[in-house]
Amino acid sequence: MAAQFTAKVYQNEFLPDGGTDINAIVTVDCVGAGEAGSSGGGAGEIIIVDTSGSMGSANMESAKVAASAAVDQILDGTSFAIVAGTHQAYQAYPITGYAGMVAMDANTRAQAHRAISQFRADGGTAMGAWLTLAGIIFDTVPALSQKHAILLTDGENRNETPQQLDAAIASVTGKFQCDCRGVGVDWVVPEVRRISQALLGSLDIIPAASQMQQVFAELMQQSMGRGVADAQLRVWSPQGAEVQFVRQVAPTVEDLTGRRIAVNPLTGGYPTGSWGDESRDYHVGVRLAAKDVGQEQLAARVQIAIGEEVVAQGLVKAKWSDDDELTTRINPEVAHYTGQTELAEAIQEGLAAKAAGDDATATTKLGRAVQLAKETGNEEATTRLKKVVDIDNEETGTVRLKRSVDKADEMALDTASTKTTRIKGGSSS
Amino acid sequence: MTASSPVTCPGCGAEVAAHDAFCEACGHTLTPTETAAGQQTEEVPITLSRSVRGTLTTDADAVVSAARPCASCGGEVGADGYCLTCGVKAPRERDHYTESPSSWVAACCDRGIRHHRNEDATAVASDSEPGSRAVLVVCDGVSTSLDSDIASLAAARAARDVLVAQQASGLGVPASQVAALAKSLEAAAAQANAAVVDADDTEPDDTMHDNPPSCTFTAVVIQDGLVVHGNVGDSRAYWIPDQGGPAEPVMLTRDDSVAQERIAAGVSREEAESGPQAHAITKWLGRDSPDFVPTTGSVRLEGSGWVLACSDGLWNYVSEAADLQKLIAELSATSADPLPLAEALVAWACEQGGKDNVSVALARHTEDSPESTGPAGPDDATQGGGA
Repeated sequence: MAAQFTAKVYQNEFLPDGGTDINAIVTVDCVGAGEAGSSGGGAGEIIIVDTSGSMGSANMESAKVAASAAVDQILDGTSFAIVAGTHQAYQAYPITGYAGMVAMDANTRAQAHRAISQFRADGGTAMGAWLTLAGIIFDTVPALSQKHAILLTDGENRNETPQQLDAAIASVTGKFQCDCRGVGVDWVVPEVRRISQALLGSLDIIPAASQMQQVFAELMQQSMGRGVADAQLRVWSPQGAEVQFVRQVAPTVEDLTGRRIAVNPLTGGYPTGSWGDESRDYHVGVRLAAKDVGQEQLAARVQIAIGEEVVAQGLVKAKWSDDDELTTRINPEVAHYTGQTELAEAIQEGLAAKAAGDDATATTKLGRAVQLAKETGNEEATTRLKKVVDIDNEETGTVRLKRSVDKADEMALDTASTKTTRIKGGSSS
Repeated sequence: MTASSPVTCPGCGAEVAAHDAFCEACGHTLTPTETAAGQQTEEVPITLSRSVRGTLTTDADAVVSAARPCASCGGEVGADGYCLTCGVKAPRERDHYTESPSSWVAACCDRGIRHHRNEDATAVASDSEPGSRAVLVVCDGVSTSLDSDIASLAAARAARDVLVAQQASGLGVPASQVAALAKSLEAAAAQANAAVVDADDTEPDDTMHDNPPSCTFTAVVIQDGLVVHGNVGDSRAYWIPDQGGPAEPVMLTRDDSVAQERIAAGVSREEAESGPQAHAITKWLGRDSPDFVPTTGSVRLEGSGWVLACSDGLWNYVSEAADLQKLIAELSATSADPLPLAEALVAWACEQGGKDNVSVALARHTEDSPESTGPAGPDDATQGGGA
């Protein structure tokens, strides 16, 4: 069965006389996605493991176990390779002397396990080089329709300038997706977030080395369950209108606005990567030219396209009315995700201010975050915030910065800042 | 005449014509087996909207024929019913249509501004010879009930077809002619009611079952200067002579409404029609109708002017006949064409706010020699019908 996409729109379509701005949440559901590679072209996986000296022997041993666990989850027939990363990048498997991938089977799986067991912690960290090599390896199998990598790091990107890292990210953006995990507390969240966001992947902290094995197995399992290789979100807006923003708001907040690719003069495409059986929410804001009271028009067509085929569409409408009861109504889904987006910003800005020693801004921002977490019912965020601030009043957002904070807790708050909860008792399921 | 064997009334045994909708002798309702010659009317193709119940699998608004270019920018209209360039919603044919069976009869039916569906309906027919014979029907669907847009159109067309099929006898004294036409109006109302009941596809366990489709009914037959009208509910008929003529403008029908009951009790029209429950009607067509026999009346036209049938979407803004006369004089200053005037009246109602669907049906009456005697006015001899 081919994957089935559906799109549902949640909005208040009524605008007051002279009103111009329409907001809508579009929930996109995918069922029947099948296994990775099932849509033709085949799937490719690369496991990128930090083997720098900072890993030390304990972390290195855990990373070996984790990488092997991920290898075990790769389905037979899937093309794969393993990259070991220090201040340089090495293709640890297949051991061919040149860039390439092999198909997974019992034999190659056993060989991969042996190659992983040879990892030794030594050298520096240059994640840009790791990504570049992964890109070169994927390029050797151009037929692959679905390309995914897992990147593990434990430290700061010391052996490259930020510009070098950015250039490397840019050179592989759109080539493959990459989920990133940082083990321990010596890596830098915003640095790795740049990679995961650009490469349409997730980001998380693995506080303890012992958790690596499970995390890697689950990540690979999840990737193998994404049978839709690539889908594009499309937003059509009427001539003369302006798409103010396009954001993914669930399961995580990702601003897609700047990733627009023109499909035609009125339609922008935004990459969403591969899909399994899952549901994602998007928040679209459109500014229209005001029309007379009583007029109705379409503000946006929000579509999901596989290749050039539009497989689902939601209609965002605008109706001008002088009925205040209709125009002042706030759509609960829009309000919820507006709050969740602001929550993510408040956490990230608060932690950045705290890191820069600006305690006043940090206190204000994290206080606002506490307030928003409460308002939007994001209990996970509240729990994480409580590990960084003492809360005097949740409603007003009055907080004090804790004197001593576990670094891992602070990083977990940062990496999880973009995770959203869905509306409670709401219609988006 | 054809050589077919005579048809008899199942009620009284009298000989009736095959196209008769009722027995002229006893008034028994008949099912016409043929249409009166030369009066077959061409149906306006209208795509009906359907309420979508249960699981909403497709956008209800998406049911649209999209062949026409966008009315706003000329762009292509998408399969979803909106323009692919400017996003303006393509009007459904049901939302606005006109009828123009001859040079002297026309109708315009429109969604208005506020409502999202057009539950009004018109159905008109006429002979080509100006002033000879015309039928105007207006039905206003009750917006709180389900599928009233389907019901009202079915009702209006059923009534029109009955009235068209009813051949003008052209015999007897005027009084018998009025009585015969009043009978045919009752038959038309009965057929219209049957059409509304047929449009109800709810099951008894449906949550909407207690809210069956329903609509008003106003029909006018014009025959060589004689107007016979009948109504159920608050859609109206007016006789609006041209300004400066011998006759006064007059509202022919009397609403079956709470407002009308208050007027009868001494409240001013203005106050009653703006008061609480002003738009609550006391009679209607539909499965839950207690009484659908129309109140009928007649008038002999004197001078030139307009016979107008309309829904409350128009008269909400211009209730008094004298005001309507002024408005029509302004809107028809340059032409006596019924279609532009019907469209102009609808557009005018929309400019006033368009709070309801708007229907206007018009027939032009022309008299070259206005040497009439006595004032024209409603003749209530047959008021109350023959229930």
